[in-house]
Amino acid sequence: MDWVFLSELAINGALTGLLYSLFAIGLVLIYKASSVPNLAQGGLTMVGAYVVLALARDVGLPLWLAIPLAAVVMFGLGFGIERVALRRLAGRPVVMILMLTLGLDIFLRGTTLAIWGGTSRSMELGVSYDPLFLGDIFISRIHLVGAGVALALFVAFMLFFRTRTGIKLRAIADDYMASWSVGIAVERGVGLSWALASVVAVAAGVIWGEIQGVDQALSLLLLKGLTVAVLGGLDSILGAVIAGIILGVVENVGADFLDPLVGGGSRELIVAAVLILTVMIRPHGLFGRHDIERV
Amino acid sequence: MQEKVEAQNILSMNSVEVLYDNVMLAIKGVSVQVPKGEMIALLGSNGAGKSTTLKAISGLLKAERGRISRGEITFQGTDITEALAQKRVEMGICHVIEGRRVFEHLTPDENLTAAAPRGMSRSTLNAEKEKIYGYFPRLAERKNSQAGYLSGGEQQMLAIGRALVTQPKLLMLDEPSLGLAPFLVEEIFGILQKINKDEGLSVLLVEQNALAALEIVSQGYLIENGRVVMHGTAEALKSNSDIQEFYLGGGETDFHNVKHYSRRKRWLS
Ligand SMILES: Nc1ncnc2c1ncn2[C@@H]1O[C@H](COP(=O)(O)OP(=O)(O)OP(=O)(O)O)[C@@H](O)[C@H]1O
Ligand SMILES: [Mg+2]
Repeated sequence: MDWVFLSELAINGALTGLLYSLFAIGLVLIYKASSVPNLAQGGLTMVGAYVVLALARDVGLPLWLAIPLAAVVMFGLGFGIERVALRRLAGRPVVMILMLTLGLDIFLRGTTLAIWGGTSRSMELGVSYDPLFLGDIFISRIHLVGAGVALALFVAFMLFFRTRTGIKLRAIADDYMASWSVGIAVERGVGLSWALASVVAVAAGVIWGEIQGVDQALSLLLLKGLTVAVLGGLDSILGAVIAGIILGVVENVGADFLDPLVGGGSRELIVAAVLILTVMIRPHGLFGRHDIERV
Repeated sequence: MQEKVEAQNILSMNSVEVLYDNVMLAIKGVSVQVPKGEMIALLGSNGAGKSTTLKAISGLLKAERGRISRGEITFQGTDITEALAQKRVEMGICHVIEGRRVFEHLTPDENLTAAAPRGMSRSTLNAEKEKIYGYFPRLAERKNSQAGYLSGGEQQMLAIGRALVTQPKLLMLDEPSLGLAPFLVEEIFGILQKINKDEGLSVLLVEQNALAALEIVSQGYLIENGRVVMHGTAEALKSNSDIQEFYLGGGETDFHNVKHYSRRKRWLS
């Protein structure tokens, strides 16, 4: 057994996993405020990356300006989605809202295809591709940066959900009707959660866009992001971070063992197995809230 | 003269009709007045239209695809028939909905925070919380545990406390006694009475437990099949033979005699 190699796999797996967490935090935000899994989070992430590129390449702004500006644009888009599409569905069965988010995802993909075409564009953040060595272990710099962003967002949102606004959002997720009854602005709260998730989508879009290029494939991150969110418990930010690390390590180390046996492609199988097993064995994930049985 | 009556009633509901899904007529011309500072009961059996009446007042009908199709509601002289639920809470109407419905995954303390009106300062909120914990010491003891695991009585107290944070002028409660032991009902009703006395809070109390309700209110309305069939002082209602027989468990009434009961109910409507 080569321990250096194994730890290299594990550490890089954990870093990649934190990038899944970065994506999954967006899903958790919306779930925490409205109990809806947002199937359009992949589409939002992709649009976030495209908006950054549009501001940086097409308008010609420097990246340090283009990224926060894109965050502002996406914040507005998130609010707009609630206003235009979700508001009329408030109180309807979750399945309807789920289908709406799926439709939204397809719509966003189609829109970017129509505006920017399907060829992959590069983000060019300017992060060096020279490997970073931790002892003998090789680490990718961009992954390190992305993991740092994920952890920073994690801390920010943990604090946010303890503020009065954050508590109101959690109340909305618990019970729309009771929230209305005490005058909570439910619609605005849901809009805010979409707005914040859209800002997270910019962060995820920039990092993942740098790693794999900006095209419609970015929206497929939903599959791994959703797996991480479900494993973490859908409404737990801490869960999303820990589940991300777990999935990243299991995927990276597992694939190294399994790929030679099955001739490649075992990563997808591992992710699928994690998702299916979580739902079957532990439906509320590692840290998810349990539905409380009323006495 | 008319103006004076208006000024005395904090809430006035006149011939209100409510339609659900544009077809189901749930209440058919209900008129209810709540005099300022008084406690009023709304009595009636299952499906009579009590909750619908409260939702019409609080604006929560919309969430259930219901609407007021006739009549009008005024609160402190202002027409609120079309106002949004949130606006009505801001004006001072708070509705403790049926079934307690606390925010289960939040702590009791967070439940109170969640109901804080926009712009309420931290110190005012803390003062409100202290006052509520004063009324409900049991809540203070458990303020940092998960609300979903509180007992039924504690959840009802929390639901009331949560409504009080909105600083209502009119508090409406939908069957707060449901599923609670008699001593708890007494405790909670006692606290309501105290709040009513201390703060002049007007209360509209929906109850099936007429016996307990008529002990604390000044007047009561009896609703059957979406209509007010009786209105009078608590004393008058308590001594009314029909009320006694069917809602207070007086006389020789066998409550399980469904046939007899439904015959009487038809008579009442
Ligand atoms: N959301 C709804 N959609 C359609 N019909 C409804 C709805 N809510 C209530 N109803 C109907 O309106 C009528 C009055 O119901 P309501 O809930 O107001 O009665 P209630 O007096 O509160 O009864 P309970 O004591 O059982 O709570 C009933 O016939 C009920 O079936
Ligand atoms: Mg009811």
